[in-house]
Amino acid sequence: MATLELDSVRKTFQDDSGEIVAVDDVSTAIDDGEFLVVVGPSGCGKSTMLRMVAGLESITSGTVSLNNRVINDVKSQDRDIAMVFQSYALYPHMSVRGNMSFGLEESTDLPDDQIAEMVSETAELLGISNLLERRPTDLSGGQQQRVALGRAIVRDPEVFLMDEPLSNLDAKLRAQMRTELQRLQEDLGVTTVYVTHDQTEAMTMGDRIAILNDGRLQQVATPLECYHEPANQFVAGFLGEPSMNFFDVRFERGVLVGDAFEYPLGPEVREALDGTTDLVLGIRPEDIELAETASNDHDFATTVDVVEPMGDENTVHLKFDEGVETMIATADGFTRISAGDDVVARIPAESIHVFDRETGEALRNRSLDSKTLSAALE
Amino acid sequence: MFDLYRRLSGALGRSSGNDNASGNEARTDGGVVSDRSVPEPGSESDPGPLARVGAAVDRRLGSDFLESSLFWLPPFLLIALFVYGAIIWNLLISLTDYRGFANAPDYGNLDFEMYTRALADPGFIDAAVNTLILLVAFTGATLAVGLLLAILIDRGIRFENAFRTIYLLPMSLSFVVTAQFWLWMYNFNNGIVNLLLGTVGIGPISFLGDQTIVLWAVIFALMWQFSGYAMVVYLAGLRAIPTEHYEAAQVDGASTLKMYWRVIIPQLKGATISAAVVLMVFGMKAFDFLYSLVGGYRPPNGADILATKMVREAYANLNWAYGAAIAIVLFGMALAVIGPYLVYEYRRNNL
Repeated sequence: MATLELDSVRKTFQDDSGEIVAVDDVSTAIDDGEFLVVVGPSGCGKSTMLRMVAGLESITSGTVSLNNRVINDVKSQDRDIAMVFQSYALYPHMSVRGNMSFGLEESTDLPDDQIAEMVSETAELLGISNLLERRPTDLSGGQQQRVALGRAIVRDPEVFLMDEPLSNLDAKLRAQMRTELQRLQEDLGVTTVYVTHDQTEAMTMGDRIAILNDGRLQQVATPLECYHEPANQFVAGFLGEPSMNFFDVRFERGVLVGDAFEYPLGPEVREALDGTTDLVLGIRPEDIELAETASNDHDFATTVDVVEPMGDENTVHLKFDEGVETMIATADGFTRISAGDDVVARIPAESIHVFDRETGEALRNRSLDSKTLSAALE
Repeated sequence: MFDLYRRLSGALGRSSGNDNASGNEARTDGGVVSDRSVPEPGSESDPGPLARVGAAVDRRLGSDFLESSLFWLPPFLLIALFVYGAIIWNLLISLTDYRGFANAPDYGNLDFEMYTRALADPGFIDAAVNTLILLVAFTGATLAVGLLLAILIDRGIRFENAFRTIYLLPMSLSFVVTAQFWLWMYNFNNGIVNLLLGTVGIGPISFLGDQTIVLWAVIFALMWQFSGYAMVVYLAGLRAIPTEHYEAAQVDGASTLKMYWRVIIPQLKGATISAAVVLMVFGMKAFDFLYSLVGGYRPPNGADILATKMVREAYANLNWAYGAAIAIVLFGMALAVIGPYLVYEYRRNNL
């Protein structure tokens, strides 16, 4: 049982062209038993961050501490962590049993019979008891994935580190393993850092998610907070599929002026802007309401460009009648709508996000019935 | 054979239509003949013995067996004659008493006299034991040194390519050159090895004169020449192991030594086997090295191996049949090395 803390962690690589910053000044604390998902686009430094915690990558500056003990200079052999690799990295010359007992044999002085017992218990937990004598090459991808998990679980480490463990599975198996992994982590109560580029995994699995971009930490919060109250434009655009619509706008005379539309603001929002004039207006596709006729100044005449039916909902690409700007809205799957239709898009005042165009920082997030949100977060 | 060549010309010149054979013969080339539309019971039901044999061969060995024989048959016959034919001829000679200046071996009286003579000959026993020691010690030492070099180079040292070339270079030298080179190195009076040992107060040692040491001196020289080869084979094996295996072992708590011993080296089994087979074959061919070392058929006392003894018996002493018998024993040893390897590769579906 452990708390893990990263304090101003920085990692740079030397290259011919100079210094490359992979992880820049990341600070965060992970509580005992917490499941933290680190998410970001590829190349954002999330794997490097995980490898620094694992001791596979040196730390340029800053500290990583486990249970309030700085472990920068502790070799990964002595860190009492277990890692699940994207490629599983199962030892091909050992049986499943050999793979699972290797870590216990090397890191503890337990007698052989006790190790054997722990291995069979863990195998039972994961439903791989019947595979123990087989070689990794004889297993399917899903089975290999379970063995890789088992190899980590059997060691009962202070921290689990997982580097995109589900990304080599097919979609159906991935969804199944996602749920299973979550349940396992809850049962075992081991502090876990889980790296992924998949936002579904990030949203559904973690107690909290940490969003990384260009080596910098953008936001660490619960999934719902990140989704509804993003700290900046990057987080807002990264989470959600289809992603949030953004419009470059200027704030003039109490109105947001865009290429294709003017959007009047209420007094509360105006105050939040605090004098900034170059802004970005954001609205999530599911918050856009489609109507027959315009009835107020938040309604805009648009033409349907493309409709992508998803079954439960339709993704509708809309084009403003004036200007060239487009936006994406999601409509109910039973809505009858087709390309070329004229529709009115309503952008509700309570659902808009406003970002500073220069810094990307969120100036105003959608208003939520905060009781509902905190209830959802409890 | 007639059928074979007819079929060949049929296969190669089908479009030219110059095959003027008619009736049942036309069928054998597999072409669609227009007059087949009217079945003629007499000729059609009995295609003739040659065609039947051809069809049977096709059924058994695949439809292109005869047609492709133009390409594989000539080299097959050449190898059959000059390799396998020579082995069989050698075996026959070893069963005769052929020696001296007799015109031809007498094949009328075949027995195993030469083999019993070999078993009673202390020179043969010594040579056989030396050959085995050479095979095992040379192969083992070369593999160990090669593995060590490969692991060191694989750990990402500077000037990796230069080191790789330097270590591999001795293998490109001929046995004659390395033998001369080590003759100088081992020189009793002013060889580098003895000079170096002299600085720490050992020696001088007569490496090539002392029959308890000379075999080991030869093994060391051969190891120097071939450890670069073992290194390259191991390096290729190491490069095929994903980095995650090293990292997983580290995270699992294994020390560097344990990581190599339990996770990395076991995965080099394939590389070890193929390098060992090649090295053993080189070890058996150490004749050139010993011949150049002394410039004759009589290697230093204590370093006689089967290959040198075989040549000496045959060409220096004109004991043709006895030399042939030794050659057969050597052939048996080579088979014992290669055979299991072939079986291993066959099981892994590489053959």
